[in-house]
Amino acid sequence: MEDFLVASDLTKSFDGTQVVASASFTVRSQEIFGLLGPNGAGKTTTIRMLSTVLDPDEGDIRIGGHSVAGESDAVRRLIGVCPQELALYPELSATDNLVFFGRMAGLPGGEAKARAAEILERVGLTDRAKDAVRKYSGGMKRRVNIAIALMSKPRLLFLDEPTVGIDPQSRNHIFDTVLALRDEGMSVLYTTHYMEEADRLCDRIGIMDAGHVIALGTPVELKTRIGNPDTTTLEEVFLSLTGRSLRD
Amino acid sequence: MTRPFLLALLEVKRFLADRGALAFSIALPILLFALMLGVFGGETSFNATAHVADLDGGDAARKLIERIEDVEGLDVRLYTEAKLDDSLGRSAVLTGFVIPVGFTAALESGTPAAIRVKRRGSGGNAGQITAAIVQGVADGFASEYELRRALAALVSNATTPEDLESQIGILLADARREPPVRVVDDETLVEQEEEEDILDRLLPGIIVMFLLFSVTLSAQTLIEERRNSTLERLLTTRLTAGELFAGKFLAGVSRGMIQTLVLLVLAFAVLRLAGPGALAQSAVLALVVAAAASAIALVIATVARTDDQATWAAVFVTMYMTVFGGTFFPIPDSGALELLSRFTLNRYAIDAYEGILAETATLGDATFEIAILGAVAVSCLIIARLLFRVSSEAK
Repeated sequence: MEDFLVASDLTKSFDGTQVVASASFTVRSQEIFGLLGPNGAGKTTTIRMLSTVLDPDEGDIRIGGHSVAGESDAVRRLIGVCPQELALYPELSATDNLVFFGRMAGLPGGEAKARAAEILERVGLTDRAKDAVRKYSGGMKRRVNIAIALMSKPRLLFLDEPTVGIDPQSRNHIFDTVLALRDEGMSVLYTTHYMEEADRLCDRIGIMDAGHVIALGTPVELKTRIGNPDTTTLEEVFLSLTGRSLRD
Repeated sequence: MTRPFLLALLEVKRFLADRGALAFSIALPILLFALMLGVFGGETSFNATAHVADLDGGDAARKLIERIEDVEGLDVRLYTEAKLDDSLGRSAVLTGFVIPVGFTAALESGTPAAIRVKRRGSGGNAGQITAAIVQGVADGFASEYELRRALAALVSNATTPEDLESQIGILLADARREPPVRVVDDETLVEQEEEEDILDRLLPGIIVMFLLFSVTLSAQTLIEERRNSTLERLLTTRLTAGELFAGKFLAGVSRGMIQTLVLLVLAFAVLRLAGPGALAQSAVLALVVAAAASAIALVIATVARTDDQATWAAVFVTMYMTVFGGTFFPIPDSGALELLSRFTLNRYAIDAYEGILAETATLGDATFEIAILGAVAVSCLIIARLLFRVSSEAK
């Protein structure tokens, strides 16, 4: 599989503190790539740089062959971003949210409406499509958050902790959706704190700590580093690589 | 190109969807308007006090005061002349009436008598009306004395009906030439500016104040977008930072105009201020003021990092402009207040509004004021765009 995203030596500092340090990794076409790391590891800053929001101090990012630094508009046509927070307008309906972000992504009005209906069906919200999002449960809001990211028909989807604080049913629904998207040809960059989630979903994983990418590989390859992959958990690998000290 | 309009439309949709905020933003201006109308402009009957110093003390003076007291809505308060002067000096009273010594005797003898009026400045609207009422009462009252005296003379002197008619004609001509009782201005204690109707003066300021409040508080929408991560999400779409600013600017103008149009239409309908032409020109002027205020709101939004910072900055800007921009009192021609007022939208907007609402001027006459407001809009938009943190939030 070809590399759809190539991040090379990404470095970013805020007020003299280095948050991301020479991070390099790739995300292949039709792959779910997990970016794991303790709090403060630099995952969100990395995603912000990859999604054109933040300029790296050093390093280079290419997505679908386009440079993020020089061709941000072309890159934005290829990506969909689902931030960790619920980035939506709660007083509006799910349909209105999706159509609005679809229009912002460049879809014409009619196409945006059709796409919104299609995606809402996919995430199981057709029946509540016209209700204000503020009336939704946490899991439903999370699904709307993901649905918005899909409006632009992205080839690369960034999912930053998409399952935080939701019930098992909604989480399971999100897993199924992500796997289906991958099977349809989409690349996904997925961050999470839940190791079993990463183990279940991700084709390859990069582990970040203190701004560095300290390990890269498939879940099996990473487990093999410290023991028998059939009996070792990803959490044990994670703790082995990042240590057991508490993080802020 | 359509993205800024879509963004503005979204803002308006959110504004309209939040029924609580909508109710407050529409209901509060209406409530304030109703209060103003009730206090300053909504009276259908006249109520005032005639402040009278009776130096005569005679029968005719006493009866005249009783007649004045009988007028509906008019009370009489009696003073000594010294006390009346003192009250006028302190502006506690703006118009006073002095019935001079010899008033009764003059009436009884047929000699013209005069009630003296003392005013502070113009005497105030109520004082001017009261003076006119007192004149009317005095005319009628004196006519009775005159009629009684004339009839007595006629009955004793006239010999034929023609002679009686001729003498009545002479008496009427004399009365027209020199009324038996005149209400004459005695003295003006302090020269003052001509007093305007308070509602006429306040209304332009109130309109501008509400426009400022509604728009500058919309500075929070950018903070809210940042807090809710929708700003970052927007910046990963094809929306550019320039389009974001254009959209937010249009949204601010739209929100301000919704509120202002309600107030304007209400004011024109209830107060019957002026014709539809003036209403249309007022709306256009409101659009220009809203543009300037919306651009100021964007400067606040880019500088402030929290809701509180945005709110207090907006409150400061609004209060500064309201207080120093001539909303509640006229701006003098020179001095510190005049200097401070130059840095407010209110001064220019109120100047333009006063002419339009009074139908003594048109938008064309307010070219200077509109140019200033437009320049504020353009320059603040540029400043806000430059202040926006390109490095951290926008490409």
